Amino acid sequence: MSEAEFERRVERALRAPVPTSARAKQAVMERVRHAAREGMPQRTAAFPGGRSARHSIIGLALAAGIGSISAWSSFAPVARSAGTTGVATSSVIGDTVVNRFRDTLRLVRLIFDDPAARQVAVVGDFNRWRGDATPMQRDARTGRWAVTLALHDGEHRYAVVVDNTRRAGTAGHAYSLLRVARAAN
Amino acid sequence: MTDRAIIHQVLAGDAEAFARLVDRHYERCARVAFRILGNREDAEEAIQDTFLRAFRALGSYEDRERFSAWLTRILVNQCRTVLSKVERREAVFSDLDVQDAELYADVEGSVEVWPDLERALAQLPPDQREAIVLRYTDDLTYEEMARVTGAGESALKMRVQRAFARLRALLQEVASV
Repeated sequence: MSEAEFERRVERALRAPVPTSARAKQAVMERVRHAAREGMPQRTAAFPGGRSARHSIIGLALAAGIGSISAWSSFAPVARSAGTTGVATSSVIGDTVVNRFRDTLRLVRLIFDDPAARQVAVVGDFNRWRGDATPMQRDARTGRWAVTLALHDGEHRYAVVVDNTRRAGTAGHAYSLLRVARAAN
Repeated sequence: MTDRAIIHQVLAGDAEAFARLVDRHYERCARVAFRILGNREDAEEAIQDTFLRAFRALGSYEDRERFSAWLTRILVNQCRTVLSKVERREAVFSDLDVQDAELYADVEGSVEVWPDLERALAQLPPDQREAIVLRYTDDLTYEEMARVTGAGESALKMRVQRAFARLRALLQEVASV
């Protein structure tokens, strides 16, 4: 079988339906009805129509040469573009010098996009993995979750806790890596 | 009626209208979840949670994005949550039982059932499996996949390419046994 034939056969097989049970499908609406009794969804987005363009904080920070940051999920780079879902994106937005220790901390803005999340927090080495220590705030305009951290240069392990469930940036990984460093001039 | 019109109806207070969205998107979500998670029980859990979360968050949905792509973003998050919850390194794919085969019979046209492929999929690294499933099971564009997964388009293309190569090797192994 040629490469092309093989790929076509895989594609056909992937598009094939999978077994589903009518009971499981009914259960979806049962849960939705239950949720509706607790409260109907309220319109928060501009609908229909769009919204104003987003500005990438990351771009602004890097353009200003303030610092650099990168995030890894063990082996896969996490995208740093705006508009990703279920993945934390981050940027250094400034440095601060703690006079008492003459130590430099970088202000890192962590952004997480999950339109359905009700509660989001970040846990990591920097807060001893305490779920209640660093809640993220939802931006009413963009719907994204954000928090600013003051971190030392170096690697920090972290994960995002969404509705009490911990989540790393990539499937199958327990945590993601955030690497903070001064930008090269 | 379009997805957008149904969403309007739900947001106007008609919760039952949401059933039409479930009818319309359930099978597609099942294909994605089953092939990412590898078994029906986990897939059903992920799908139920996905629709519930979508319902609760419907007010924040913006129609500049396809509803199906928005729903897939939530679904992929739920699949990742299920994967991390069960901490399985490799998904175990269940064999089709008699009842499942009957469901296949309802589908119009010819359907390719390739059990060895399902098992080979389970052996792919999670990121490659996710990429190839989203590309071909859900027919997402690479741009939409990038929004769903958070990975760059070129990285996703590479994952799909590697997934094909790995699948071919795995299936050749099976064939040579």
